[in-house]
Amino acid sequence: MRALFPYLLVAPAVTYLLSITLYPGIYAIYQSFFLVRFNEWIPVGTDNYVELFADTEFWGALLNTLIIGGIALAVECLLALVLAYFAYRDPFIRGWRIVFLMPMLFMPSAVAFLWKLAFNDGRVISDLLMRLGLISQNIDFLGSVPLARLTLIVADVWQWTPFLFIIFVAALQGQDQEIEEAARLDGARWPQIFWNISLPMMRPVIAVAVILRGIDITTMFTNVYIMTNGTPGGTTETISYFIYRQGFRTFNFGYASAAAVIMLIITVVSAQLIVKRAFRSGRA
Amino acid sequence: MAGRTTRGESLWLRYMVLGSWALVCLVPMLWFLSIGLRPRTEIITPQPVYWPTFSLDAWHALWSDWPIGAYLRNSVLAVAGSVVIDLILAIPAAYSLTRYEYRGREDIGFYILSTRMMAPAIVAIPIFFLFRNLGLLDSVWALMLVYAAINLSVVTWILRSYMMDIPKELEDAARTDGASDLRILWEIIIPVTLPGIITAAVIAAIFAINEFLFTLLIASTANAYTMSVALANFTGGSDGIIYNAIALVSFLAFLPIFILVVLIQKNLSRGLTMGAVKG
Repeated sequence: MRALFPYLLVAPAVTYLLSITLYPGIYAIYQSFFLVRFNEWIPVGTDNYVELFADTEFWGALLNTLIIGGIALAVECLLALVLAYFAYRDPFIRGWRIVFLMPMLFMPSAVAFLWKLAFNDGRVISDLLMRLGLISQNIDFLGSVPLARLTLIVADVWQWTPFLFIIFVAALQGQDQEIEEAARLDGARWPQIFWNISLPMMRPVIAVAVILRGIDITTMFTNVYIMTNGTPGGTTETISYFIYRQGFRTFNFGYASAAAVIMLIITVVSAQLIVKRAFRSGRA
Repeated sequence: MAGRTTRGESLWLRYMVLGSWALVCLVPMLWFLSIGLRPRTEIITPQPVYWPTFSLDAWHALWSDWPIGAYLRNSVLAVAGSVVIDLILAIPAAYSLTRYEYRGREDIGFYILSTRMMAPAIVAIPIFFLFRNLGLLDSVWALMLVYAAINLSVVTWILRSYMMDIPKELEDAARTDGASDLRILWEIIIPVTLPGIITAAVIAAIFAINEFLFTLLIASTANAYTMSVALANFTGGSDGIIYNAIALVSFLAFLPIFILVVLIQKNLSRGLTMGAVKG
């Protein structure tokens, strides 16, 4: 009984989580071998997978997710690092932090509408660029592949750079100041100190923060749903949106489940490879 | 060296960079607020209107045309309920993961963490069918259960981080006095971990308020629409998207979150990294 006690304490949480990961995972795998028409399930073997691997929309969605997510993540990381470096020893750091974190506190659906209005429906960005003399006529941001992707990236960067900023500031404030001080006394200049001392010391924290942000960015759905619906020509459709569209727009549940299973495999593999290590070293 | 910090980095550059980003944060927000406080005729126009007429049209429309009260109630109920479920499950779990040595402990902890990586889209269809079969579609209860599930990993790991900081001696003293494990949890661990519990609760609440995909699938009427998803339905048919109502609701949801976050500011970075960074 005594030996079982710790298991009993953790069991309810684990059971609850299994019911929303293991059960749906098995359900999705099972469903992916069927053609689902309303309440009728017709077994089709591996047809869904064969079709999926030949589906350019599926590969396109994977690629879009990587392009949009990759660029947004890189920009956010760079911006947050620069901002954190300038802010962390500033006397007004509390003020900066409060202002910078505000975009993060809006609902993502609200932020999506803000940028949808600014870029598309209200043409504000076009108008501002015209006033600056940078362009001569209205831009249709949904009419070009890079521009449509850009609107998604801007919305994500605006909302989520603060997430990384706050974590990086905490990491910089928490680091051993004496090492930096010693380097400075030895005549090192600040870019050298930042590059050779601060950055390497922050690496475990950067890893954890980037992984957490990376998880959310590769599952991007809300912004696509509200801002672009995948236009033009599916080039802004993310993998999450692809699964949603196959499942709940065309009611092709078996096919959508096959795509979900592929995503599940990618998730499990990357979780094992990357995340376990980062969270171990992150606590060192 | 006036205008320079001790590091030789110029103050001018620093305030240029920080000031610019502050504008990038604030200007779109203030513009969006102005959208919420202007009449609909001044939103989608051939030329953008930068100095709009002040109007509370959107505010009145929210109460007369939309069941905004129901949306608010659904959000509050689902979010608060989910946070309570999370704490009830996560406090004993975190206690077990930090204060006992046993086989499989690390793997259990990592399993809990790994559920944070599960994309909502992967489990969306099975969860949809599950709630349909349970007859729970379009209900706040379903949202509560889903939000709790989404945040359970985050809450458990934040609490785990705070509980690891508690010195073992504190418990040992109580144990020699003959206190049971559950009493130690209740009378020592929980009070000492309170800042962590509050941080975890606030962060879980924010994620829950923001949740979109599951709510979109589960909710279909004012019975379960939350603010986050109701936004996407503020359309007036031929009039298109009702942006001023959307903007007002956005700020309505922003305010309480902002207050909560300012309260836990010191613990925010630790909470956001699930305990990996001690801010």
